[in-house]
Amino acid sequence: MSGGANKMAKEKKLPLENLLVIAANIIMFAIVYFMLSASEMVSLIIIAAVIVGLLLADKQGYINWLFALFIRHKKVAFISAMLCIIALPLLLATERYIAHIACMAVIYAMVCLGLNFQMGSTDMVNFAPAAFMGIGAYTMAVFTVNMGVSPWLGFLSAIVFSCIAGILIGLPTLRTKGYYLSLVTMALQLAFTQLIKNIPYLGGPNGISGVKSLNIGEFFFYKSYTVFGVKLAPQIPLLFLCLFILVLMVYIAMRVYVSRWGLSLNNIAQDEVAADCLGVNCNRQKLFAFVIGSIFCGIGGALYGGLASFVGPTDFTFARSLIFICMVILGGMDNPIGTVVGALLLTVIMEKVRSFADYGQIIYAVILVTVLIVRPAGLVPKRVRDYCSLFKGKLQRSGKKNEAAAKTE
Amino acid sequence: MALLETTGVSINFGGLWAVKNVDFSIEPRQIIGLIGPNGSGKTTFLNIISGIYTATEGQVMMKGETITGLKPYQIFKKGMSRTYQSSRLCWDLSVADNILIGLYTKQKYSFADTIFRPKKTDGEIYDGLQQCMDMLSYFNPELVDRRYELVKNIPHIDRRRIEISRALVSHPSIVLLDEPTAGLNDDETMEMMDDIRKIKEKIQDICIIIIEHDMKVMAEVPEHIVVFNAGQKIAEGVYKDIVSDPAVINAYLGGAAV
Repeated sequence: MSGGANKMAKEKKLPLENLLVIAANIIMFAIVYFMLSASEMVSLIIIAAVIVGLLLADKQGYINWLFALFIRHKKVAFISAMLCIIALPLLLATERYIAHIACMAVIYAMVCLGLNFQMGSTDMVNFAPAAFMGIGAYTMAVFTVNMGVSPWLGFLSAIVFSCIAGILIGLPTLRTKGYYLSLVTMALQLAFTQLIKNIPYLGGPNGISGVKSLNIGEFFFYKSYTVFGVKLAPQIPLLFLCLFILVLMVYIAMRVYVSRWGLSLNNIAQDEVAADCLGVNCNRQKLFAFVIGSIFCGIGGALYGGLASFVGPTDFTFARSLIFICMVILGGMDNPIGTVVGALLLTVIMEKVRSFADYGQIIYAVILVTVLIVRPAGLVPKRVRDYCSLFKGKLQRSGKKNEAAAKTE
Repeated sequence: MALLETTGVSINFGGLWAVKNVDFSIEPRQIIGLIGPNGSGKTTFLNIISGIYTATEGQVMMKGETITGLKPYQIFKKGMSRTYQSSRLCWDLSVADNILIGLYTKQKYSFADTIFRPKKTDGEIYDGLQQCMDMLSYFNPELVDRRYELVKNIPHIDRRRIEISRALVSHPSIVLLDEPTAGLNDDETMEMMDDIRKIKEKIQDICIIIIEHDMKVMAEVPEHIVVFNAGQKIAEGVYKDIVSDPAVINAYLGGAAV
């Protein structure tokens, strides 16, 4: 009886909740749009409002409520989010500089997602994400400039090389834990910067310029096109591509999170001995985190090479690695959405405070420190895995019945 | 054939023989208790069996195969799981997650399945969750409703139950319980004793090795008791014989008391 009533209530609620989901998506993307395109002061105010809003909303439980709502109306949420994501580059279509920032933010988000597998899930603080990114970018540069082959071959080799680098760097670090692991990755990062500075084939300190971006036949992803008489910024096609890849990555990261793979990584982070005694091959899983993370970073790097059309040692320094770590910590560890939010916010802040010269760094630091004091877990922290929301309809109901039966036993 | 057999197992920590020359065997479906004064090598012995330490000398055989030198995860796959003296749950994960990790090796879906999520994989994850909840509700049904709460918010005795559920959910052939009643008061110890008996009802084929200081538990639960002192096995037998064994009394109370 009550089940029937519930069902009816649910059906009545449906359109309203759908509208809410769509509205939430539109609001989120409007915020992102204004944050990107407004002038420095307005943009910083919006960022402050977003941070405060996120913190307050989470305290009241609205964030969890929103997540639950999105999961309940997965299809509507997904379609409306996709539409917003497609609309975003179109809104930025003519603004070169802003499209560039948007591209950078998306690429940084990819690197952060990769770093999140190691830092967020497995608690291995990897201080070398910029090096992994650099491996992807340099592979792309060497293949398109030095060897002059198709950018797609460069892109695929970037994936392969970053994967190999992940294994090579992962293997020695597996013998260490905690701070020592961080030290090893730190050393690798510094060695990487010195290495590329000193190899003439890689352009030394001058880097490699003229890196080609991807293309499909005569359609280039980094080229200014004129559509309906409007001259688009050259980054727009690339922005579409980056957003598409980012969506795929977020999807993969979320799926990995709610699976035995992600769960085993969390277990290794919290208690390696216990995980080992429960059948988790710790070394293999840690290597998995390294490899998938470095592949994500490498893809980000390859796209970065195409965007900047120049790669140099200064782009992949230790300082850049620290920024990636800040992004993951600020956004929220072990939550793909949080990681993307963190990357987006920090990239925009970094660009917007640029005009304040030296004071910019102070503003940047103040924002970071304030957020971390108020909220050490980050803006959108890790959520408890909710397995039942995976299963719609029949499975869930039969499950509930079973659980009830088990309870009465 | 013995399910688990050790011959002359010894381990040396920088000159100290923490476990020395222990011969031990457990038959299928048996419950064996390990007792001994603090520092007598009981936990070290369990750590050797479960692969956390590798024996310096001697051999461990399980189901007729040598498992000395194997990694803990390989030994787990052969059907041995354990709990710990101080709870080793993941405090920042939910109750459901903590038990589900016990099924890590039983769930077979690949990484590709993880990403593309065919119906089969969803079903597998769901079945796993269901098994976990069945196991948990067997010990404490109330915990099923709290399955999405973080373990750090759960009372101590329930944490013990979660840990036991995690060890049992993969249906191992041997489970090692390292002081399951540590830190519990008298009433809770009684509850825990019932829970340990329940294990046997739930999984008939299981055999249990239990370390315990509480003599009430030792008198009632195990069929067979092994006494450790200073890394060596000093006595073995049923409870009645053990408590009257002069060597045991000597080890526990000291020579002067006899």
